[in-house]
Amino acid sequence: MLLEKDMKLADVIHHDYNLIPVIARFNIMLGFGDSSIANICQKKKINTDFFLTILNSFHDSQYLDKHSEQNFSATQLIDYLQQTHNYYLKNKIPEIECLISEMLTKAEVDKASYDILQKFFEEYKTELVKHIDREEKLVYPYVIDLENAVQSNSVTPSLFSSIEEYSITSYQAEHESVEEKLRDLKNIIIKYLPPSEQQQSRYKLLKELTVLEKDLNDHANIEDLILVPKVELLEKHVLGK
Amino acid sequence: MSKTKKVVVISNAFLLTAGVENLVLELSGMLVDHVYSGSQRNLCEKIISRKPEFVIIDPESLNEKLIRLLRELNDEKDIKVIGIISSTSNQNIISKFSYTLNIQDNKYQLVEALQKIVGKRNKEEPGNEHLLSKRETEILQQLAMGLTNQEIADKLFLSVHTVMTHRKKITRKLGIKTVSGLTVFALMNKLVDIREVERQV
Repeated sequence: MLLEKDMKLADVIHHDYNLIPVIARFNIMLGFGDSSIANICQKKKINTDFFLTILNSFHDSQYLDKHSEQNFSATQLIDYLQQTHNYYLKNKIPEIECLISEMLTKAEVDKASYDILQKFFEEYKTELVKHIDREEKLVYPYVIDLENAVQSNSVTPSLFSSIEEYSITSYQAEHESVEEKLRDLKNIIIKYLPPSEQQQSRYKLLKELTVLEKDLNDHANIEDLILVPKVELLEKHVLGK
Repeated sequence: MSKTKKVVVISNAFLLTAGVENLVLELSGMLVDHVYSGSQRNLCEKIISRKPEFVIIDPESLNEKLIRLLRELNDEKDIKVIGIISSTSNQNIISKFSYTLNIQDNKYQLVEALQKIVGKRNKEEPGNEHLLSKRETEILQQLAMGLTNQEIADKLFLSVHTVMTHRKKITRKLGIKTVSGLTVFALMNKLVDIREVERQV
């Protein structure tokens, strides 16, 4: 179902609860009554087209393949991507860490296994943090510089050289390894963790990992299918001058 | 229980995709892992990273990109590529595929055709499919202790190529790809001692 601006946000959330963390990233709190998406966006000063693009891309992973026209700036997009990073680092990852350490504390038979699991997740976290850090310190500032240069019609020589040196196309392949580790972790829990105890906690952990995995995939999709093409356009524009 | 066979579908056409997904469901032990539109970037890499056994392609969704993708996929020996064709399809396009499904066939013809392409279900001993061979276990142990392919090759008197082939088999059997994931598996199954692993790190 295509989500549109005159729909009630409440209906949308009923229809797809995966969107709850997404609206939270736009600082929309539950308790919004019967307001339509357009109304809420207006009140919160959110670009409606942008909000709908993000909602639809989470709701239907094939949405972005068909909808590439965009009425929003790279800066707006990056602001959102950073909110998402915050959600991973401040909410999702600590939640999962908490679940694992709870399991470790309660474990009677398989303490060693949970210990190994915890170490593996910490390793995964380190890698994710490194990846996010690189995006926020390197990629995003570069994109914002590009957009500013296009808007103000003035290109500094240093920007020129970073386009030649860096270029966004090199950035796409970087999501892979983070995704692989998470998939391995799920497989280990489903197939290989000795099945003696704490099944309920395992279901919960597995669910949280699956939610994180889906969110990360959608996030990567937004970066690959919206951010990258947008930046390629900006690069071309700047180099064309 | 034999291993689930993964299918990746390349198509822009919703009705066609929905049909293919339904068809695949008719065969037990198969599932559509992902659907990509023909306009996806780095399509070939994305397909390969999902490790499908089968790729079902709607040629109409790729147009001029079709030939290149087929050539790239041809190098992947473990992937069978199936084209969706119709009686009115260009002969030139039909001949590019080693396997085809005809969109005008009825359900039973299609199921039969797909079953033929897929082949008989392999009747492995239930529960045994993730059991590693002695050699694979040895290599897994070395990996877990942080050795590189080259170091393992030297230590076990194998070629690097052989080590890599074993690694691929291990990954396929266990469903674990990263070295850290494999280390976790080795530790949980007590194939290595945690102190040995930590000493390496």
